[in-house]
Amino acid sequence: MKNIQQNHSDRPLVLSLFGLLTVVMMLVSGAAQALPTFARQTGQSCVACHAGGQYPELTPYGRLFKLTGYTLGERPTVPLSVMGVASYTKTINADPSSDFPKNAVALFQTGSVFLAGKITDNIGMFAQATYDNYANQDPTTNQWSGHSHSDNIDLRYADRFISSNNDLIVGLSLNNNPSVTDVWNTAPAWIQYVPTNFGVTGANAAPMVSQLGQQVAGLGAYVFWNKTLYTEVALYQTAKGALTILKSGNDIGNRLSGSNPYWRLALSHEWGPHNVMAGMFGMNADVFPDPTVPSGPTTHYRDRGVDMQYQYLLDEHAFTTQLSYIHESIRGGDVTGVASNATNTLNQLQLKASYVYRATYGGSLSYHQTTGSSDATLYAGLQDDGTGTGNMIPIPGSGSMNNNPDTRIVIPELFWMPMQYARVGLQYYKYNRFNGASSNFDGAGRNAKDNNTLFVYVWAAY
Amino acid sequence: MKYKSISALMLIAVLMNACSTPERSRSIVTQHVPIKTIVTQQCSNCHGMTGNSNSPNFPNLAAQQEAYLISQLQGFRAHTRSDKDGYDYMWGVTASLSDEQIQGLATYFSEQQAVLQNKISAPEKVVRGQDIYEHGISDKEVPACIACHGGKAEGNQIFPRLAGQHATYLLKQLNVFQNTEQRPGGAMMKGVSHAMTKENMEDVAYYLESIHG
Repeated sequence: MKNIQQNHSDRPLVLSLFGLLTVVMMLVSGAAQALPTFARQTGQSCVACHAGGQYPELTPYGRLFKLTGYTLGERPTVPLSVMGVASYTKTINADPSSDFPKNAVALFQTGSVFLAGKITDNIGMFAQATYDNYANQDPTTNQWSGHSHSDNIDLRYADRFISSNNDLIVGLSLNNNPSVTDVWNTAPAWIQYVPTNFGVTGANAAPMVSQLGQQVAGLGAYVFWNKTLYTEVALYQTAKGALTILKSGNDIGNRLSGSNPYWRLALSHEWGPHNVMAGMFGMNADVFPDPTVPSGPTTHYRDRGVDMQYQYLLDEHAFTTQLSYIHESIRGGDVTGVASNATNTLNQLQLKASYVYRATYGGSLSYHQTTGSSDATLYAGLQDDGTGTGNMIPIPGSGSMNNNPDTRIVIPELFWMPMQYARVGLQYYKYNRFNGASSNFDGAGRNAKDNNTLFVYVWAAY
Repeated sequence: MKYKSISALMLIAVLMNACSTPERSRSIVTQHVPIKTIVTQQCSNCHGMTGNSNSPNFPNLAAQQEAYLISQLQGFRAHTRSDKDGYDYMWGVTASLSDEQIQGLATYFSEQQAVLQNKISAPEKVVRGQDIYEHGISDKEVPACIACHGGKAEGNQIFPRLAGQHATYLLKQLNVFQNTEQRPGGAMMKGVSHAMTKENMEDVAYYLESIHG
């Protein structure tokens, strides 16, 4: 669910997580029973915590489970889960074929191992390691090879002070993705549900707050008061030293300079079968232009977001909507060389509505819009033709002749969950604009609709 | 490097564990966890601190009959009550409750004050529902509910309080009684609800939701 390069020199992360698990179990005493995963920890079904059973969106109860540090229930004997995704991705116009590998091919895509659950009465964790079956392609033989790497990790300490009149949850989180701590599905770490590395399933440009996952280490503190007010502050650095496990198996795509703040404020209200959240969040990030050279001037990214979520959850019906709007200003790119302009802006709007019946049959409709200022370096339209003459030619497929990120996508989805641990889904990505234009966006004759993509997946977990 | 990472994380975990206290535990099997802690850290998430639940997905427990609460918690624990919501939510949280904890939880919720919902969604249904509750439906041989559940629907021992209960929950249970064998402890209700139509059930449910008892 992420798209960054992997480092082959790391040891298999899964083994490390097993090691961590062993140490945890040896050090922590107390009764333990039952099997892994959160459902087995609480003894409850998926629908208790996930709205209409659709992972990862949380119900009000699921939010409390996460905010109290995954500590509700009993510490499982073997706190492990596994997850696998098989998929079929077909882009309408997959020419040239080298840019669209595995087009229209059914394949086993990724497998994940989760080490997750209660450790003590106050400490719990969610740690995911993912094996990407098509992580790399040999440029000579065209053979694909797999690779495992750390995915989202969230280690928490939490306490809850509750009485008839007051309910205060406080907590700390050590994690590797800004907003992965969030309990609403509008957070950048959770709203983008794109479990494929093939085809075009999003805009080329995205706010920095969503570009740092699995590369950083962050320590944050949060408070949830009377199920109404949520606040969180955190500082993120590129993972290093003792915390390299948080980025294990991943190369750094955006290397941060120093500590970079993330903050979150949300108001929540529940009445009857309804609940609503309105919030805002922000992150300032200073990023080195070359991730391998942690020195010199940095580009300053300033992300500010507003978000809303509404859920109607009553027995057989789950209807939910989400809105997320992020405005990003990018300064200093002209100095670092990543941009031509001294200041650029990027705006990302994401809307989603979904309905699930009996936690079995569901559908959703999403709209993603990415707009921003034009910049010839950030959104290049031309490249050197390699002849040494300095002749510039279009960049087929990924270039922007307008030097603009404007991308608009409508995504309908249908899914079926024959059992609570399995899901079959069909998504269609319909592009109205891509890289600044609806037609001939790359100057090489490719239209936005050529990127229209059908994505079918089978997801299963245990 | 990973071993250093693991060591650092474990050191943090062990140090923080020193701060844990059973008074705020979210464990449900540890026998030393006080009843009030189970109520606040577990039950209140769905049923509210005083047993007056916010969401109609979850029944109100405030002022419920103690004997009824004991029988239901025992039914969930023994898996003899197997309706979907019981299975989805309650089997897990009751699995390791002791008899003493069940008694304590039942006592706590039976002593709480029920808050009147003041919900009168459909006045005409309420009127019809009151008639069914008090007199039954003679031509269908549906007996009057009042005989077992009391003049104010306050319940009586093993017969639950129904006053002020969420109509959604009552309707769901009437359907469970009528169409399934998932609540053998309420087998009597199968016969009672046998001839009730969907409309009859809605009328009674809306009436009961509207009264305080």
